[in-house]
Amino acid sequence: MNYTLQFGQVTEFLPYLAGGAWLSLQIAFLAFCGGMVIGAFGAMAKTFGGRVVRGITAAYITFFMNTPQLVQIFFIYFALPDAGILLSSYEAVLIGMTLNAGAYLTEIQRAGFQSVHRNEMEAAETLGMSLLQRVRYVIMPHIAKVLFPPLSNQYILMTLGTSMAAIFGVEELTGRAFNINAETFRSIEVFSITAVFYIALTLVASMSLGLAGRYLFRAKMRLI
Amino acid sequence: MPQLEIVDLKAAYEKLVVLEKINLNVEKGEIVSLIGPSGSGKSTLLRVLIGLLPPVAGRVRLDENDIDYANKATLRMLRDRIAIVFQQYNLFQNMTVLQNVTIAPTKVKGRPVAEVTEEAKELLSKVGLADKFNAYPDELSGGQQQRVAIARALALRPEILLLDEVTSALDPELVNEVLDSIRLLAAEGMTMFIVSHEMGFVREVSSRVAFMSDGLIVEIGSPKVVFDAPTIERTKDFVGKILRH
Repeated sequence: MNYTLQFGQVTEFLPYLAGGAWLSLQIAFLAFCGGMVIGAFGAMAKTFGGRVVRGITAAYITFFMNTPQLVQIFFIYFALPDAGILLSSYEAVLIGMTLNAGAYLTEIQRAGFQSVHRNEMEAAETLGMSLLQRVRYVIMPHIAKVLFPPLSNQYILMTLGTSMAAIFGVEELTGRAFNINAETFRSIEVFSITAVFYIALTLVASMSLGLAGRYLFRAKMRLI
Repeated sequence: MPQLEIVDLKAAYEKLVVLEKINLNVEKGEIVSLIGPSGSGKSTLLRVLIGLLPPVAGRVRLDENDIDYANKATLRMLRDRIAIVFQQYNLFQNMTVLQNVTIAPTKVKGRPVAEVTEEAKELLSKVGLADKFNAYPDELSGGQQQRVAIARALALRPEILLLDEVTSALDPELVNEVLDSIRLLAAEGMTMFIVSHEMGFVREVSSRVAFMSDGLIVEIGSPKVVFDAPTIERTKDFVGKILRH
């Protein structure tokens, strides 16, 4: 191969790429938080809701789990303006990713609800704990611990999924990598550095989830 | 005056009646063991006493006070005075040994952390776990976990301890370490209800042994009477079978 690696040209764009990584992080974080809230309600609806509520939740999950995320965002970005709802590309991506995450996180959290051991709940009850204390000291740590691996996987997938925003012209990490590539034509260097940024982002994500689990719920968690 | 009175107690899992009509008085410091075939209602009786299964009929009186199992305040008072240890230990997996023992006294009873921790360490040392304060349940053997469960129950300073087949889930070589902990409590005069299949142990520690069958106490008496000279045919049959081993 005659290609000579030349990182020099690309390194001057590092702060620019870092800015894009920061935007990716923001999109993933906001969509994940929104998805967690939707997921919590969805999981409660699916576990404790009546037939109609469960039906609506199931329809939502089926739609968002069985259509491509890209198509969902296209729909929000291009179809909704016809209905009078105008969204910026950033907003469309964020809403699309949040709704999509909500479906997956509903299923994940529902599994968590179902995994609490009846034994531990009974022990807590016989020790005199109130319902709130049981939720705080037994259910939450248990769910956090059980859900940590699937949640961090989901978060990582979402962080990587933010690259879709580039298609809509959002200048996050991949969007900026495209721009630098177009300017320098150093594709290998640009996308290698971009890959390193993504790895850093996902490691930060899984470590912060692990720390949150340890300190909020006293769950025994591995950080990486 | 009996510490605990059980009068015509009846309990059911939905429509399936599991306790027909239980009558039993227990004096302070007495150790009553419940024996009998599987499904005879032994564990259910303990679950009713601790309030995990509300009785359908009958009364339970603790120091002459009626217990209303539908009333949350009375239940709290009850669980202040009666504690249970389960067959499967039921430890909180996300907490260390020390946290398992201290959580109820500190969070439920609101006692000072330092004092409770000191007491918990003493209790754990008493059951031979002085070196396991910071271990998690899944790092312990079954026998060790069961001793943590006993320490956790004792940390509530109960007056009555219910032990539900506490050695049934253990490997044979671990049974004795748990039984030793219970012997220690027996020597200290703790009132206990023991559901067990360890007949040698039951005979050794019990003040009285109750043989249960089909949701009824069929025969009750000193271990000597129930094991060596049972008067009822069904008891004879059961004792005969288990002592043949």
